[in-house]
Amino acid sequence: MRSPEAAVIRRAPFHPLLAKELREIVSGRALWTMLLILCPLVGYSFWQAVVLYGEASSAARDSPALASGLSPLDGVLVPTFGALYVAVTLLFPFVAIRTLGREKETGALRLLVQLPYRVPTLIAAKMAAIFGAWLAALIPAASAVVIWAVLGGHVHVPETANLIFGHLLYGLLVGAIALFAASISESSATAAIVALAFTIGSWVLDFALAGQPGALEWFSRLSLTQTLRTFEQGLLSIGLLLGIVAAICGLAALSAVWLHPGVPLRTRFMRSIACVAAVAAVFALASQVRTSVDLTEDRRNSFPAADQRALAELREPLLVTVRLAPEDPRYVDLRRNVLAKLERALPHVGIRLATTGQSVVGSTADEAYGEIEYSYEGREDKSRSTSPREILPLLYALAGKPIPPPSAGGEYPGYPLVANGRWTLPWFLVGLPLLIVIAWWRSRRPPQIAAQLIKVGGQP
Amino acid sequence: MTQSTANQRDPTPEHAAVLMQVTGVTKRYGEQRALADVSFTVNAGEVLGLIGPNGAGKTTLLEAIAGLVPADGGRILWRGTSPALPRRREFMFYLPDGLRPWEDEYVARVIEFFTAAHGRPARITAEAIGALGLAPVLRQRVGALSKGYGRRLMLALALITPQPLLLMDEPFDGFDLRQTREIMAVVRDVARNGRTLVLAIHQLIDAERVCDRFVLLADGRVRGVGTLAELRAQTGMASAGLEEVFLALT
Repeated sequence: MRSPEAAVIRRAPFHPLLAKELREIVSGRALWTMLLILCPLVGYSFWQAVVLYGEASSAARDSPALASGLSPLDGVLVPTFGALYVAVTLLFPFVAIRTLGREKETGALRLLVQLPYRVPTLIAAKMAAIFGAWLAALIPAASAVVIWAVLGGHVHVPETANLIFGHLLYGLLVGAIALFAASISESSATAAIVALAFTIGSWVLDFALAGQPGALEWFSRLSLTQTLRTFEQGLLSIGLLLGIVAAICGLAALSAVWLHPGVPLRTRFMRSIACVAAVAAVFALASQVRTSVDLTEDRRNSFPAADQRALAELREPLLVTVRLAPEDPRYVDLRRNVLAKLERALPHVGIRLATTGQSVVGSTADEAYGEIEYSYEGREDKSRSTSPREILPLLYALAGKPIPPPSAGGEYPGYPLVANGRWTLPWFLVGLPLLIVIAWWRSRRPPQIAAQLIKVGGQP
Repeated sequence: MTQSTANQRDPTPEHAAVLMQVTGVTKRYGEQRALADVSFTVNAGEVLGLIGPNGAGKTTLLEAIAGLVPADGGRILWRGTSPALPRRREFMFYLPDGLRPWEDEYVARVIEFFTAAHGRPARITAEAIGALGLAPVLRQRVGALSKGYGRRLMLALALITPQPLLLMDEPFDGFDLRQTREIMAVVRDVARNGRTLVLAIHQLIDAERVCDRFVLLADGRVRGVGTLAELRAQTGMASAGLEEVFLALT
């Protein structure tokens, strides 16, 4: 049905809405406060990282073996971006909540939902503004990367871009949580409590339960912090990416469901259940996607290239039975050095912890404890080693394949650097904050009035 | 705008096309009944007054019509058909009472946003700014406006919108006598240009001056609907004003 007297409002332009949302964030103090706090946080983390990296580099100056262990990703970039992580966890929710919280408090939302935009469009504009705010929050950390390069530090673009991409996803996830919190809360204060309960709660979850056996370990994986770990290790996991994007879209969809005040409560609940079910389905799908890309320069998440090629040819399923408790450090080593790499290299790998409930079959006094059993094409072998140097030959023997000759070259040299990072502190403590204050001051200037608006309206 | 001007047109149902029908709208907040089986019609081009004391249910009724509050029952028919909730905004725009939205924004930017979102020509916006005398405050922040200018800004936003039906909650609140008369003139101009207005008003004198027809509300129920002459006939008070009629019917 379309009455001739209905207003033609179907194709409202997006850019005025986006501009309004960006102005809403910029006009608040939360963004500027966060930026000012970020400067010393990032600056101090960066300076500390450069100093420690320099000390390690001094020791490695005459030793290629030591030097090869020096990666700027681990030594400088991850700690520096750690400050961004802290700020995004604790402060970014306040910035993101502003995109909706103030409109709910002042009643502006009742005008907004009557404008010729669909509710998903309104939420998309708010998410785009949140993305803009995150880009602003990236400035101190991005300037640290530039300074590192100026100091002579090595920057491997793929792994650095992957790290930044991980932080972007984390920031959008926190922003989506904050937006959802604002959509279900009547005031910004309540929304902040809800959002921080998510972010800090998951932080605590990570601290308290990581490394615990059984169900507790599973719960710790729900922590938001876990989303960053893989990116910090230089991996781009498609399954994880799919899961995070599903979570962001799901939270945005839930925000849309709860945004319009005119929708009955029952309808909102039904739509929310549908959203949660859809996201859960994507999560289930994502958990089956094993594809990941090792973007690190030192290929730390992969076996040597020759082994990667040889292992990729093992088409039959490999079953690994581990008789170790999950909290056993040997299992942690095995997982990092061998199992995770095998999962990436082989098409079909099954890993089974020989556990019943939360306890290992038998006990640590059991003679079999510590054994890792490998089964391929009906042949089996056992080992207690956690080193790929011993396990890979064992696997080749099981598969009846020769050990591939190591490829020449391609060794990671490491990038030691003794740099004086002291002069960077004035940038983070004075220069950048000053620029932020100037940007804030400029953002508050009154707009120019289009002459045509006051031609008919008349001057006072 | 005076009463005589308001009565120049004949807004009786026999001569006016029914634009919207409100049928059996009910709303409860927990145990409290806000609206009980509210029904009336809105005719094209008229200024309809929702009249009632504070707490009569005027705001709830307007919000239920605009789809900003879910009604427990009843229907809103636009030209005889029932539009889905998201489509109501194609027909009507509701201006709530006492809003001060986007306080950190400049007045000009709020107006420009509304203009751009609705794709309205600059001429319409300039006319709204001129009619409501907003030019002196365009470079002020919304939060810094006086109460009167704040209300003028809200009215300007409503005038910029293109929907054929305007719902306004207490549009004359916060204005002195002279300003109220100016705003009434603006409202009458809007109606004369073809838009239909439903105004929730608790000041009966204001309502009598500006409205063509009235819906009298008390305790969430409709107590009377019609022109002042029809309401007089209903009460048998031939020379009574709206105040006396209202008191007699409620």
